[in-house]
Amino acid sequence: MNLWNILLDTLTQGSIYFLIAVGLTMVYGILKILHIAHAAVYTVGAGVGLAVFRLTGNFWISLVAAMGVSGLVGVLIYRGVYFYMLDQPRIVPLITSVGLFLLMQDLLQKPFLMGPYQHAFPAQDVFPSVRLPWGDVPSAQVMILVLTAATLMGLYLLFTRTRLGLAWQAASMDRDMAGAVGINLNRAVALNFLLGSALAGAAGVLVGVFYNSVYATMGDVPSYKAFVVIVLGGMGSVSGTVVASFLLALAETVLLSFVGYVLPRDAIAFLVLILVLMFRPQGLLGRS
Amino acid sequence: MGYLVSVMTFASIWAVLALSLNILTGYAGQVSLGHAAFFGIGAYTSAMLAVKAGWSFWPAFVAAILITGMVGALLGLPSLRVRHDFLVLATMGINFVVVAVFKYVDFFGGALGIIGIQKPQIFGWTLRGWGFLGLALAYLLLSLWVSDYLRRTWAGLAFATVREDEEAAEAMGVSVPRFKIYAFAISAALAGGAGSLYAHFLGSIFPDHFAFVESIGIMSMVVLGGLGTLRGPVVGAFALKILPEYLRVVGDYRYTLYGGVLVLMMLFQPQGILGEGSWLWRRVHTWRDRLRGRRVFSPERRPSVTAPPTNPSTPSPPSNPGRGVLQGEADEHEER
Amino acid sequence: MSTRKGDGLLEVRQLSRHFGGLRAVDNVSFQVHTGEIVGLIGPNGAGKTTVFNLISGFLKPTRGTIHFRGQPIHGRRPNAIARLGIGRTFQIVKPFAQLTVRENVLAGLGHGIYPSLDALRRHYHNPKALARADAILAEVGLASYADARAGTLPIGLQRRLEIARALALNPVLLLLDESAAGLTHQEVEELGELVRALPARGITILLVEHNMRFAMRLCERIIVLNQGQILAEGPPTAIQKDPAVIEAYLGHSGLGHLPSASRR
Repeated sequence: MNLWNILLDTLTQGSIYFLIAVGLTMVYGILKILHIAHAAVYTVGAGVGLAVFRLTGNFWISLVAAMGVSGLVGVLIYRGVYFYMLDQPRIVPLITSVGLFLLMQDLLQKPFLMGPYQHAFPAQDVFPSVRLPWGDVPSAQVMILVLTAATLMGLYLLFTRTRLGLAWQAASMDRDMAGAVGINLNRAVALNFLLGSALAGAAGVLVGVFYNSVYATMGDVPSYKAFVVIVLGGMGSVSGTVVASFLLALAETVLLSFVGYVLPRDAIAFLVLILVLMFRPQGLLGRS
Repeated sequence: MGYLVSVMTFASIWAVLALSLNILTGYAGQVSLGHAAFFGIGAYTSAMLAVKAGWSFWPAFVAAILITGMVGALLGLPSLRVRHDFLVLATMGINFVVVAVFKYVDFFGGALGIIGIQKPQIFGWTLRGWGFLGLALAYLLLSLWVSDYLRRTWAGLAFATVREDEEAAEAMGVSVPRFKIYAFAISAALAGGAGSLYAHFLGSIFPDHFAFVESIGIMSMVVLGGLGTLRGPVVGAFALKILPEYLRVVGDYRYTLYGGVLVLMMLFQPQGILGEGSWLWRRVHTWRDRLRGRRVFSPERRPSVTAPPTNPSTPSPPSNPGRGVLQGEADEHEER
Repeated sequence: MSTRKGDGLLEVRQLSRHFGGLRAVDNVSFQVHTGEIVGLIGPNGAGKTTVFNLISGFLKPTRGTIHFRGQPIHGRRPNAIARLGIGRTFQIVKPFAQLTVRENVLAGLGHGIYPSLDALRRHYHNPKALARADAILAEVGLASYADARAGTLPIGLQRRLEIARALALNPVLLLLDESAAGLTHQEVEELGELVRALPARGITILLVEHNMRFAMRLCERIIVLNQGQILAEGPPTAIQKDPAVIEAYLGHSGLGHLPSASRR
């Protein structure tokens, strides 16, 4: 395992974690809800992307369709369920989210949806592979890195330069006050869910293509890793999520390549979670 | 018939699990989505003592309760640092780590689990079928008694204060960390006993029996029936265990059912179908009062500030400080 | 340890609490003697509630000491301090909302039992505890609300419940944090009567107040805090005339004039 591979793996994994976790942190920032069902939205994106790809053979159309459907599902979850729970104690939307996740994932496993099988997602070489003097970057990884970079740029501009982004920031600091100064909370939250869920759907497609595998329970691992990421980065902080995504990926890659198979890769994330919650619950970048 | 007995046995075991979670979440307000971990620790403790150390059921059962209780106290430490959402995440994490330990550490049998766990024996008679059901029901009754007793003690009152407002609890002389650990320990101990029963009933256990999804199932049972009550967890457990067995269609969609129950209950009756102030429980109460010939009085109507003063010489029964974390706001919505 | 009137019950020495760069409490020293009613006033942000939180154990001092009946209590846990005999109310009321009014008081009555394993054994709903709880409720005028759920009470009654709960601790020192806030004129009068009767029962009072009239009329001695430091200390008549105090108030929330304490 040379340095270049470690770097590349870290960047790729980190990008994936980021794309999944960012929607989660956006929702938490604005609603203070742990949207566990987010992982199911991710799986829906993968499934829709694959279905559209089978119909059209075009990667880009599939990606857009997946993002659209995922975004819609996210908004529906907000407007149809969470919306009625905003004033309840936090445990209520939390339990609801868990229930939604379980429900959605169980339904996805039924034969009439994704079934209990693994499907291939043979979208080959959408991007060119890149030859660099010190190593190659395969096509699949180029895809992920390029799209993530574009997303980061877009999000940065959105949060800092647009009124919507400002509204999101305001609402995440003080929801009632934001409403009081005239921000249309309902619309801001709905758009927040839309974007966050769409990004998760995109992540689903990218992961499906990258590993050439789509299956109903692929949301299991992201469901908790995304949480590790947002807790590590500071709940509600998008920049924190960026840092934490890559840190977690780095920790996993390094541990795996140097220390070997002491613990399964996934358990590492959990230990990190428990440690962070015990000793620095505000995350690395959060304020206590 | 044998099938029914078997289903009832499982239901009884899960009812104990639900009651134990009720103590932790309903009484003390510590939301845990990792309770299956304690279930597993009890099961594995008992199974390994029986299979690898040759213990008979009864000492293994007691050991499972004690050891799981102690581990529960330890695993409750995160609750001293984090609350609410963060605590939920921590308990989820603990669940995953515990299952991972069972799966990947050879000492616990790994993915192959533990098999060949013998049935309990009492005075030479092997308990199976009806016999085991009797044992399970006895443990359920014990758990009910413990839950009820605990609720009436000063500790039960302390749990309620911790749930309602930790700072105010401290200001009343309640050591919040101490009582959180008590709640975890007692809750885990009860769950550990259930685990032991499970292991000896099934004869073989595997790590995935105690996965996160089971924790969700237990929470669903408590939430369905009514968090904070005694009747709620038991009714919820029996409903969610028996229904899938007898409605084949439901059985295939078991997890959809669990998830759906949670969502629907949270939307419409967060206090559970038999929780305080629920639509059904109020009907039951009114019926009961009618049957007893009393003036029909709605027990959930809160005395308003202008209501006539109650007679101070007749002490009223404890108002159930074991009510859950979902009450107040839910009732607010009720009165709409 | 007996405490006669006049003894130093609470001794705060060079107490400081910093939050990063902010000095919320800065080198504060004062004493409260047995049987006194002392007021702690100051403009918003002066650090009054922080001082309370430091005394009652909810915050650890950055520097300085707090002694109660001669024993150091700084840095000890709130529940231990409560059991030593210091009761407090909170600026924003914190009732145990789902419990009844009576149960709220019962919660405080258990302070002696909570540390022992007996708490897991003994029932709280026993005749002795009930009698004591009802007596306290009668004393604060909440007897007719005993079975109401605490969360449903209006603010005035909730403030009284806070005091009732604190009294359940059998306290020697009572810290009242803005107990008059949000009350009607009539309610403030009643509160004043209640508080004035307490020292005769052996309860010393230290109160934080924004309601100047209330504080001036009730307290024998006033300590003025401003930006974390003690600005002035003395009887109400002296404080009212103190130019530094007037400056502090006019410069901040603009109080106009401080009401005279002569109308008793």
